[in-house]
Amino acid sequence: MSLSASLHSRDGDTVERVTMVEAVNLALDHEMAADPGVVLLGEDVGANGGVFRATVNLREKYGCRRVMDTPLAETLIAGTAIGMALNGLRPVAEIQFMGFIYATLEHLVSHASRMRNRTRGRLHCPLVLRAPFGGGIHAPEHHSESTEAMLAHIPGLRVVIPSSPQRAYGLLRSAIRDDDPVVFLEPKRIYRADRHALQSRYDFLPLDTCFTLRTGRDVTLVTWGAMVMETLAAARQLAEQGVDAEVIDVATLKPLDIGTILASVEHTGRCVIVHEAARSFGAGAEIAAQLCEQAFGALRAPVERVTGFDTPMPYFRNEHLYLPGVDDIVDAVRRCLRNAR
Amino acid sequence: MKYFRLPDLGEGLTEAEICAWHVRAGDEVAADQLLVSVETAKAIVEIPSPQAGTVSALFGNPGDMVHVGEPLVEFAGEAGDSGTVVGTLEERHEAAEDTGFIIGSPHARRERAETQSAGPAYPDALRGVRRRMARNMAEAHARVVPVTLFDDADVDAWPEDADTTVRLARAIAVACRAVPALNAWFDGDGESLQLHERVDLGIAVNTQDGLFVPVLRDIGNRDAADLRAGIDRLRADVRARSIPPAEMIGATITLTNFGALGGRYGTPVVVPPMVAILGAGVIREEAVVRDGALCARRQMPLSLTFDHRVVTGAEAAQFLGEVIAQLRE
Amino acid sequence: MRGIRNQERSLKKTGAPVRARGHKPVHGATRLPGLPGCGMEGSMKTNISVEMPFTRYLAADGSLDRPPPAWADTDIPLHGLLVQIYRDMVFARVFDTRAIALQRTGRLGTYASCLGQEAISAAIGAALAPEDLFVPYYRDLATQFRRGVSPVEALLYWGGDERGNAWKNCPRDLPNCVPIATQCCHAAGAATAFRVRGEHHAVLCTVGDGGTSRGDFLEALNLAGAWQLPVVYVIQNNQWAISVPRSLQCGAETLAQKAVGAGLPGEQVDGNDALAVYDRVRAALARARAGKGATLIEAITYRLGDHTTADDASRYRSQAELKAAWEREPVGRLRRFLVSRGAWSELQEKALYRDCETRVAAAVDEYLALAPEPPGTLMDSLFATLPEAMGTQRDELLRRAGRQPEGGAS
Repeated sequence: MSLSASLHSRDGDTVERVTMVEAVNLALDHEMAADPGVVLLGEDVGANGGVFRATVNLREKYGCRRVMDTPLAETLIAGTAIGMALNGLRPVAEIQFMGFIYATLEHLVSHASRMRNRTRGRLHCPLVLRAPFGGGIHAPEHHSESTEAMLAHIPGLRVVIPSSPQRAYGLLRSAIRDDDPVVFLEPKRIYRADRHALQSRYDFLPLDTCFTLRTGRDVTLVTWGAMVMETLAAARQLAEQGVDAEVIDVATLKPLDIGTILASVEHTGRCVIVHEAARSFGAGAEIAAQLCEQAFGALRAPVERVTGFDTPMPYFRNEHLYLPGVDDIVDAVRRCLRNAR
Repeated sequence: MKYFRLPDLGEGLTEAEICAWHVRAGDEVAADQLLVSVETAKAIVEIPSPQAGTVSALFGNPGDMVHVGEPLVEFAGEAGDSGTVVGTLEERHEAAEDTGFIIGSPHARRERAETQSAGPAYPDALRGVRRRMARNMAEAHARVVPVTLFDDADVDAWPEDADTTVRLARAIAVACRAVPALNAWFDGDGESLQLHERVDLGIAVNTQDGLFVPVLRDIGNRDAADLRAGIDRLRADVRARSIPPAEMIGATITLTNFGALGGRYGTPVVVPPMVAILGAGVIREEAVVRDGALCARRQMPLSLTFDHRVVTGAEAAQFLGEVIAQLRE
Repeated sequence: MRGIRNQERSLKKTGAPVRARGHKPVHGATRLPGLPGCGMEGSMKTNISVEMPFTRYLAADGSLDRPPPAWADTDIPLHGLLVQIYRDMVFARVFDTRAIALQRTGRLGTYASCLGQEAISAAIGAALAPEDLFVPYYRDLATQFRRGVSPVEALLYWGGDERGNAWKNCPRDLPNCVPIATQCCHAAGAATAFRVRGEHHAVLCTVGDGGTSRGDFLEALNLAGAWQLPVVYVIQNNQWAISVPRSLQCGAETLAQKAVGAGLPGEQVDGNDALAVYDRVRAALARARAGKGATLIEAITYRLGDHTTADDASRYRSQAELKAAWEREPVGRLRRFLVSRGAWSELQEKALYRDCETRVAAAVDEYLALAPEPPGTLMDSLFATLPEAMGTQRDELLRRAGRQPEGGAS
């Protein structure tokens, strides 16, 4: 992949239509241009431009001091990024696949997420940890997991998941400028799913707000990541059947904008949560619990979850059995309508 | 202007329900051309276009609630917009462009509905005035500590064509002067009480669409004819659904003259921040003892509900006594 | 005990390099064919010999083992420097004694004593420049006091109060690091930041002997070597990771030789000799600031106290060993040296202790009198701005606080 020069120019309101991974690249590029303290580190991010090419051309543009190929050690990447952040930089670290993020957990839990709190604001940790995640691209084992809930459980950490080029761009730029640690999980299945023009009014998108992708009155579909695609497709299919679905892209899983979800569910009375991750103790459970606490009176039917199973992510021959599809979502909505009180 | 947002349609009104669109996405519209009819808490309001242009998207369908400040209409080709042209409402739903999302919610945050909004599939759902009534009554029930006193006023001396409502209004005005504690607003959260010099009387008006309470201003300083004229105008406006929202805000005490419809006593509901409401039942001949002898006299049954959080039983009894004394004259 | 004996042996070989075990030869069968560009063309190194220098100036009795370093009295007045270090060591020890007493009387939480390790800590404090960055483990009081951390703050930290990390006069150094060795990665990152900005400062990071077994230590060392980072790692080898002795921690003869695998210089120093520690740390810092890369220093000392106040070391180590270790302890050693050189007197000694005890007592009084933080503080520094989603939890926190007696269950 090569990005044309015009892609980088920001004159006028829009640039060329870009894919999500190109949008990530542009966000990194523009933030590096804006702030010399923004640095990149990770495995293969320099000369290779990242295994998904998210960092392509950036080492050429900003030099190897600011775009650092690290040794193959995820614990180190996270820990080093913390040290950089504590000493005045804004590191954006890439973990090559989410399947390798677990080695960073101690640094996220015990250091990054709590440094501001435990020093009562003396130090803070403005770092972004990017990782491609999710299944559906026929990758080898350990390359397709969705374990965002594990990270969302950590106090003091933001967990942000874009689902379109514009949201990837606007959310990543905001994440880099945020003064606290952000885990930025990129649904790699839709890295190149679509091309869209970026609009400057969305250069910075909020890191505490859901996005309503489609308004509707009959049921609220809550989702994030690559599942936004299936969920929107299900909403279109339901519309043909006379069911008007509202679709919310959670985008920032933590802190959760329950207000937007509540407002919608109070409007529709029904909610179906769709995520790729395993069901039990997933982020869907938290959303369902909060709906139960705060919108019990508005619910006309039990909250439904359409999710992956409580199994390890299968090897890719069976991936399709694990990943929820449009029909699963439509089915759940039908159940929800049938069970209405 | 790219987005035309629901304007503030009257003090304290935060939302409106879309009744009907008068334009479609893709239409050219002239300035002041009628765009949409919305129903606020108590009135239908016609909203014109603020400008000429092409409507690229409509936000919401009939029956949807829109909150003040939320977009109603998107205009095409406005500055800062390059290509988010959406042809129809359906297409906007599809989020054909990546920017076809709403940051956050199209609905107001944490505005808790007591009843659900509904599409055509749920015919039991409430709309408009009735929805508002449901919310207000439930809120009143949840907050007020109501006590109701019952008594009768002897109105045997009234002429046949006596104007009951005007007489009640004047009696209330006098009673308020005597016992100001009932002509007051109570802020339960702040635990603060505001006594009013002026008496602005809320008058419950029943319509097919539900309960309206327009406000008759400053009843203590108006003569009977003026009051009657005011009442007639309010009623006419309510029935025509053209009453401005401002005319339904700010009552300091309420009268519900349900006697015209039937019923003797009731337990009318005090709507915060007010602290009292007087109900009047059907006037009828009663066997009463007068000067030691049984006789038939016309009696007006009265029911005074007061908020016992701030009004004492003695104050209420004194107030009701004052009303009865005034009506007897 | 093997590890201890090994080190005793190395201590005897004062000044002489210790030859540790090298890597086994790589057999021909495992040799890869030469690939262009892979760095494997031609002959491979089949035997790497490891030499770990060991430095000591002051013998246990306070006499000089060898002539003072070249910088002494040319660049820096030796006695002045050592008196300052000595003062810092004594203050740390007085504080340490008082802290244990406070814990034993229920006025401090679990406390990790620095007893026996004061020379390393004070010498590091003297060698660091204000612009350098210090990344501690958690037995570094003398360094931290020298760099501006107040005794009240240190008490607050061990007294279970986050204000103990909100150092008013030491804004940049990292706080204590309990998870073990994770700080080594942070130090590498902080050093990278200096390099990215082109600033000629160094990072100094301490770690215990147990910490050298963790991946974080090795990964950080590896990066420091690969990127030639301006960082100095000092292992405070006090021989014990709670109850696990140095000999069971690692099969290598020295911990310093772990540097070899990372491609950076490693060396040992007598950690009970403040002069030696200062000399070697000073040199390593100078090297780092000059852009010449990282150094690993293993400072050999002995944990004279329990692991923490929650530990009882008599369960796993012998009185005899402890007694022997006291013979080598650092405070008396430096005092004897200074007295022998006429740089310290009995009068000064008494005045110093009086002064230290007064300062510590004042700090204790202030610590005990300090009102608890307002309860909202628990959340107020979680993020730069508290997310809206946390609003109800903050309300709940304040309600919960309102239901409890002030100061909670202390």
